Amino acid sequence: MEMIIAGLLDSISPASLMFLLVGVAVGVMIGAIPGINGPMAIALFIPITYYMTPLTAIGFLVGLNKGAFFGGAVSAVLLRTPGTPEAAATSWDGYPLTQQGKGEKALRMALYSSVAGDFISTMVLIVIAAPLAAVALFMGPSEIFALISLALTVIAGIGTSSIGRGLMAAGFGILVGLIGTEPVTALPRLTFDVYQLGSGLSLIPVAIGLLAFSEILLQLERFAGKGDGEHSAHVFSSKPEDRFLPIKEFFKNIKTLLRGSMIGIGVGAMPGLGAPVASFMSYDQAMKRSEHKDEFGKGRLEGIAASESANSSVVASSLIPLFVLGIPGNLAAAMLMGAFMIHGMQPGPLLFKENAQLMYGIYGSLVLASLFLLVIGRFGLRLFCKAVDIPAMILYPIVMFTCIMGAYLGKSSMFDVGVMLVFGFIGYFMRKFDYSYVAFLIGFILAPEWERALQQVVIISEHDTFMFFQRPVAMGLMALAFFVIGRTFWTSFKEGRKKRAEAVVAEEQAKNG
Amino acid sequence: MQVTRIKRDSIAYLLIVGFCILMLAWAIPIYTPAYPGYGASAALVPIVAVSVMLFMACLSLMFIGVSSYLKKPMPVEEREFPEDLEGGGGFTQVGRINLPHLARIMIPCVLLVVAIEYIGYVLASFAFLMILQYAIGSRKWLQSIVVSIILTAVLYIVMRYGFGVPVPGPQIFE
Repeated sequence: MEMIIAGLLDSISPASLMFLLVGVAVGVMIGAIPGINGPMAIALFIPITYYMTPLTAIGFLVGLNKGAFFGGAVSAVLLRTPGTPEAAATSWDGYPLTQQGKGEKALRMALYSSVAGDFISTMVLIVIAAPLAAVALFMGPSEIFALISLALTVIAGIGTSSIGRGLMAAGFGILVGLIGTEPVTALPRLTFDVYQLGSGLSLIPVAIGLLAFSEILLQLERFAGKGDGEHSAHVFSSKPEDRFLPIKEFFKNIKTLLRGSMIGIGVGAMPGLGAPVASFMSYDQAMKRSEHKDEFGKGRLEGIAASESANSSVVASSLIPLFVLGIPGNLAAAMLMGAFMIHGMQPGPLLFKENAQLMYGIYGSLVLASLFLLVIGRFGLRLFCKAVDIPAMILYPIVMFTCIMGAYLGKSSMFDVGVMLVFGFIGYFMRKFDYSYVAFLIGFILAPEWERALQQVVIISEHDTFMFFQRPVAMGLMALAFFVIGRTFWTSFKEGRKKRAEAVVAEEQAKNG
Repeated sequence: MQVTRIKRDSIAYLLIVGFCILMLAWAIPIYTPAYPGYGASAALVPIVAVSVMLFMACLSLMFIGVSSYLKKPMPVEEREFPEDLEGGGGFTQVGRINLPHLARIMIPCVLLVVAIEYIGYVLASFAFLMILQYAIGSRKWLQSIVVSIILTAVLYIVMRYGFGVPVPGPQIFE
């Protein structure tokens, strides 16, 4: 109990509150800019958190992520340019409302749905993470090894249309993550005699390069053909009924909102699915169950409530596998895992045992971030709408230069800037060739832990090949990992066969004129 | 002649196969510590990772080869680039590589990394930002100068006085 009170008191210290507030505000502002999302914002701002206490740093990054998730709705509603896939469903009903002059009302619905979804999800996280972590403490190295193997196979399917390319990307990420000092012999491995690689590649330059720099390279490519970007046509109506959202109207959508939150929590808690899946699933369910199906896509508030409550509830629930098992369920959680590691903590069940006060402080920050999002969003809505109008000619050089200096800031090393540029270049090719940079990054982050678990298994079992057979949970998890790979391959094989059959028909039709 | 997507993917798989063979035959044996006699070998996990990559690349190549040999038509999404399809690529970022664009952005970045060590942060950053803005199409000189000066100054102040981190390269204001 003392720990809980101390942790909560930490979360309301002036420094924590200030950085949390700044994090949420900056997150909304950044998220509102098309093309910049939560994980990218975390990658850009992680270097700054080097100079903060762990609680302030994690609180700041969590606030940033929560803010960015709502911010994504701003460009989706005003420009129909969601920038991130999870905000796409919001734009389907948000933009038609903007065209009707009801953009502010749509944004208010998005805000309240985001806050509600996020708050419910945070409460679920608080209630179930610690008890689950206590159970997870019984897991030994074999179970951890099997669990990471499972996570890697599940995550290999994110961000690519091919599981094969996803596994290649995860393998490459693991390989890059193993560069540095080998844990058993303490000798350099795969450093190619470059002394700067002795301590391995830092997460910051790799993440900034892959997430932010490569994204800007792609956006600049698209921008070059378009001119000075798209500008919103948001002319807000001055009529109160078009601007404000009456409580009665909000409560009309409460069922959709609660359903969306539950979908978001379920999807977020499962590694690998992510916010876009939650958002689309929730929208689909809302449409199927609505009495006004025909109005969906034409400016229905219910559609916004469904999409935003689901995608925002993923933010907190994706922390469940991270806190309970040390497995990041999505990219934002992976970036937060990196932030934990930078501050000397290993996410997982031991966090609750070794850093209980900090964990309760983080819980406090998570709840406060929801409240700050409500307040900041409520009063700064019109200001944040201006972010979508920042000229690309000014925005891109700022982001690019921030990437470069952000990479430098971590270790005050120009070598890291070089690493960032290399991974920016690699990230550009990975995106263009459809190799999952998400799988790469998660493989990179999990590689040392995976190897550590394997080493422990081998040492404890004294090279007993059948060690796994004595650990039913580990065996079950490994079997599940193989099942996931097999099932994904089978599904893509079936889909491929269907598409090929369609291609044959199309070709024959073309031949016959 | 423009390369089709399937050809480009095949070249990428071949390059990955080559990379994996190089890693397995040369890099891993040479740059991995010898087995100390306990635990797992330091080369085990790198070999597993590279083997997964190699297996997947070979499988993909084999699949393309068999389809081509049997003259089975490939689905249009696998054959063509998303930008060439009707309706574009949606959220996908898959597409053709634009080398001139890459060079236009990457060369100033590389030059910045080199120049900053010689001429210092302030001059190198200012020049970099001017060149970058020109490279992305800005021709408003006054705006470019103002953005470059403000951004260079803000990050200098944030790093030097906010975080107490020395800016890279020679310190001209010290």
